[in-house]
Amino acid sequence: MTSRDRAFRGATAVVGIANTPFHKRGTATQSSAQLTLEAILAAAADAGIDAHDIDGFVSYANDDNEGLAIGAALGAKEIRWSTMVWGGGGGGVAAAVNAASAAVASGQADMVCVYRGISEADAGRQSYSKGHMGPLLSGHGVFAPAQICALRTQRMLEVDGVPASAMKALVQAAYHHAQNNPDAVAYGRPLDPAVYDDARWISEPLRLYDCSRENDAAGAVLVTTAERARELRQKPAYVLSGVQGAGPDWSESVENDLAYTSAGFHPAMVARLWEGAGVKPGEVDVVQVYENFSGPAVASLIDFGFVPKGPDAGRVMQFENLIAPHGSLPVNTAGGNIAEGFVHGFGLIVEAVRQIRGTSPNQVPDAALSLLLGGPMAPSVGATLFGSDAVL
Amino acid sequence: MTAKEFPGVPADLAEVVERHGHAVAAGDNATVLADFRPDRVGQLLASARPPEGMHSAELLDVEPGPDGLFSAFIRYTGTGGEAVFRSRWIQLDGTWLVTQVRNVPDTPPRTSMAHPSDDGLDAPHWEGLRRGELRMQHCPRCDRWTWSPRPICPGCHATDLEWPVVDPVGRIYSWTRTWQPFSPEVTGHLPYVVVVVELPGAGNRRILGVLLDGDGADVRIGAEVKGEIEPAADPEGYPLLRWRLV
Repeated sequence: MTSRDRAFRGATAVVGIANTPFHKRGTATQSSAQLTLEAILAAAADAGIDAHDIDGFVSYANDDNEGLAIGAALGAKEIRWSTMVWGGGGGGVAAAVNAASAAVASGQADMVCVYRGISEADAGRQSYSKGHMGPLLSGHGVFAPAQICALRTQRMLEVDGVPASAMKALVQAAYHHAQNNPDAVAYGRPLDPAVYDDARWISEPLRLYDCSRENDAAGAVLVTTAERARELRQKPAYVLSGVQGAGPDWSESVENDLAYTSAGFHPAMVARLWEGAGVKPGEVDVVQVYENFSGPAVASLIDFGFVPKGPDAGRVMQFENLIAPHGSLPVNTAGGNIAEGFVHGFGLIVEAVRQIRGTSPNQVPDAALSLLLGGPMAPSVGATLFGSDAVL
Repeated sequence: MTAKEFPGVPADLAEVVERHGHAVAAGDNATVLADFRPDRVGQLLASARPPEGMHSAELLDVEPGPDGLFSAFIRYTGTGGEAVFRSRWIQLDGTWLVTQVRNVPDTPPRTSMAHPSDDGLDAPHWEGLRRGELRMQHCPRCDRWTWSPRPICPGCHATDLEWPVVDPVGRIYSWTRTWQPFSPEVTGHLPYVVVVVELPGAGNRRILGVLLDGDGADVRIGAEVKGEIEPAADPEGYPLLRWRLV
């Protein structure tokens, strides 16, 4: 671990978390700004702080609501930090937490809010991919991230030999977990395996239930210093390490990305996450893995070494292994984008923190290391490892 | 009305299909929707494109199709021409329902996005297509092929990049068959196959395009394909590079 890693590890913590309800897309009566403010106020209440004291704002994925405007609406006493993480897709979800932590760890702000809000009424359809589907794609009928991720997943299945059952297991685990989460869109709607198998094709090899679907909703989390976190009412979820970005020959290349069937978490990035936290992959208790689509989520778990490459992926990617409380690799314990709700992965941050607090709807007993993975097969990817005070 | 008979096709299905065609032509939406699998009504409605001013239907054929489905071919005629739909039927709980539908023959989608990007970076590629050539970005200084095009060479940072002609012959690197109508422009062309093609003539850079006749094709990664330049629909438009299995 470098001296910079040591300075960053555990220097900050998430102290407030909130999601608004996950409204069916196009049905929210509030604008994305109103939903965002609702989430921020709820996160402040969760943390037990006055929202006027939030002094930094971070979002990602071309969020329509600029941090300064959100801060002005909140009547912030002073705004000291305002950042948008570049890169389409969900890669910014963990990177935004990392950016907030960097702001706090370096003393440039004290209470930074990470947020993301989507309301179809003002953000439009597919707000997650705005500006990323240029003519060399859309001229050929490729309009949606589903098709990009289908192309990459197809090669992962056909050439690497990852079995399609790995994707199904991930989706089944998500729906299973959602049955214990009253806030999840799939709550009370378990997924019959036969319905998964027989669902309509979206873009082969992805069927309907392999795909996340947008909601009108927002989420917010608050990041502050470790010292301040210990004074506040919630159990701190410390940020142990964070990584973001893109490897060689990756990003906006019209399918010329070098490690094509990877999720984009290249070996140097993965090594840096573990090195920064002083943790080995086998020690992680629970993983929230961004599933824009099931295939890229499987690729993420392979990139991080939780799941073997190729045909052997099917050995680990089994429903029993993926579920809390006792699976060997519990994933997406609130239901994830696919079954809890989609605000560009924001719910995954909230759930990663709940696992550290011990308040997940599907709690992994004594979870002390909780990993968040964002953005698979997108131009930018990122990860954040949260820890409890037990691992500091 | 006496239903036609078709070899290997249950008589009750032939009857249902005949009635379905007339309901479609008559704009009897309640009947048409009741014939669709309920979990895919939206996708089915936006998959096929009927002729303008549709007024009549003629059942051409029903035959046993793939995966235990039956394929029905119905010609719809309107004031603006005609269209043949191939609907695929499945029996669920004793009821025959449409589970897929498309226009035949299989034609590739043409979208309003077939033009140079706003920054003009790929303009030499599109202009090349107008002359019947595939042109891609190459750096003469370090011999690096770059795709998609960049403002400078990522290898040696040269700014004077060239656009040589590339032989449009390669191998399928990956593919997807898209069924979901992600844009109204693809209605009438669904499903269609998009291939990513690795080009030995361009340093194995990969280019993307629609595979012609891809609906029923046995598409495999590694298969050899050849490019064909499809002329623009109008003089202002740009041609498109399409692919065909060799």
